Amino acid sequence: MGDILNRIYEMTAFQAIIDNPGFLVMYALAFVLLYLGIKKQYEPLLLIPIAFGVLIANFPGGGMGVISPDGAGLVHFVKDGQEVARNIYEMSLPEIAHDLGVMNFLYYALIKSGLLPPIIFMGVGALTDFGPMLRNLKLAIFGAGAQFGIFAVLLVAASTGYFSMQQSASLAIIGGADGPTAIFTTIKLAPELLGPIAIAAYSYMALVPVIVPLVVKLTCSKKELSINMKQQDKLYPSNTVIKNERALKIIFPIAVTTLVAIIVPSAVPLVGMLMFGNLIKEVGSSTSRIFDAASNAVMNSATIFLGLCVGATMTVDAFLNLQTIGIVAGGFLAFGFSIFGGIMLVKLFNLFSKKKINPLIGATGLSAVPMASRVANEIALKYDPRNHVLNYCMSSNVSGVIGSAVAAGILIAFLG
Amino acid sequence: MSGNISEALMLMGVGLATVFLVLLLVIGFGNLLIKAVNKFAPEEEKPKQIASKPVAALVDGAVQQAINKAVEQITGGKGRVEKIVKL
Repeated sequence: MGDILNRIYEMTAFQAIIDNPGFLVMYALAFVLLYLGIKKQYEPLLLIPIAFGVLIANFPGGGMGVISPDGAGLVHFVKDGQEVARNIYEMSLPEIAHDLGVMNFLYYALIKSGLLPPIIFMGVGALTDFGPMLRNLKLAIFGAGAQFGIFAVLLVAASTGYFSMQQSASLAIIGGADGPTAIFTTIKLAPELLGPIAIAAYSYMALVPVIVPLVVKLTCSKKELSINMKQQDKLYPSNTVIKNERALKIIFPIAVTTLVAIIVPSAVPLVGMLMFGNLIKEVGSSTSRIFDAASNAVMNSATIFLGLCVGATMTVDAFLNLQTIGIVAGGFLAFGFSIFGGIMLVKLFNLFSKKKINPLIGATGLSAVPMASRVANEIALKYDPRNHVLNYCMSSNVSGVIGSAVAAGILIAFLG
Repeated sequence: MSGNISEALMLMGVGLATVFLVLLLVIGFGNLLIKAVNKFAPEEEKPKQIASKPVAALVDGAVQQAINKAVEQITGGKGRVEKIVKL
């Protein structure tokens, strides 16, 4: 009887949890993330799968945690009661599924291969309207200023000596405020940091309504925030008139893909898929079926697997270390610097131009479409109830998506 | 570590310059596209409208005259009928 009870106890996860209380910290983290996703509605489509992935990955004996290879590409696991070390890159997918479990199969097939972030970018493209950007094309340049945070935090992280250059770049890309871009870059440069970087990126994106007003308050005056864009347009009207927006919107994604592909080929997986998704949206009824698939079924399926797999990378050993704290702090810094960079570029522009630009348009140069624009619009309306800046902000906001994808391409090209 | 810092500084210069260049080219290219589209395909194709009956065919001369007189009387000679639409 005692033997049976002992075997039942060994079957459960109790002893392993008692041996390593770090598991309890991971459960607490999973519950907090689930609470934020379900109750507070912080990016629930991604935060809930990520949180649940964290939870199921941290039950000892469950076999749902992603096993990361060491520097030599070796993964260590127990097979038939013996510890085995094998090179992950020489294992076939059925072998991975059999020896390491279904979550590792999904991770190595869908995430480590770099498949899902471009698929999600296709869906993002299908849901993006480049109309506001085309109508206010000059404002698109402020999407470049808001990439400052990426490179500033790269410098800060690299100078600490605590992160390698690849890890610093993966941390810095959080400043692009674009989840798929952050994940794609991290997979290529520092896959061991995928979990905390994805969590930080999506958490800060959910906190855009807090971070943008904070940085704006610290850097902009009331006079600057009251600049009415429509009045400026009347005072200094644009001489560009779009006579056929539909034709323009169809040609634009093809032209941008070609342009970016020539200058930064490593950004093509992201920018190319973004523009492809947008093209099938703009073509209209003849591609409505694939547009519907890209923006719904395919994107939603990709989101589920991306979230679960990213969560499953956050095992006790991979997450509970000082690097994670560095990532959380560095990610916040990257976000703040990006908003700051966009605002400063607008201020610089206003020094030399008769037509003044509201600095909120620079603040929205970080991606986070369309939340950043909506937040900026609300701030503008507080200072002038007639000052609707949403359409103007969308220009820099959408160009920020292109800008952060290009920045990611540069980091991958130099450090990959 | 100083090697890392100099590499990070180099990446900052190259990275920011490239992002600016790409977005400047997107703006320039976009403006060229707008001009080209305005020149070669200036009008959006609109769905064909069902041919409506000419106004004159909707009302005969006597009715039109009556409407004109009514409008003239009500507006004190200031108003005039531009279009008659059958509802």
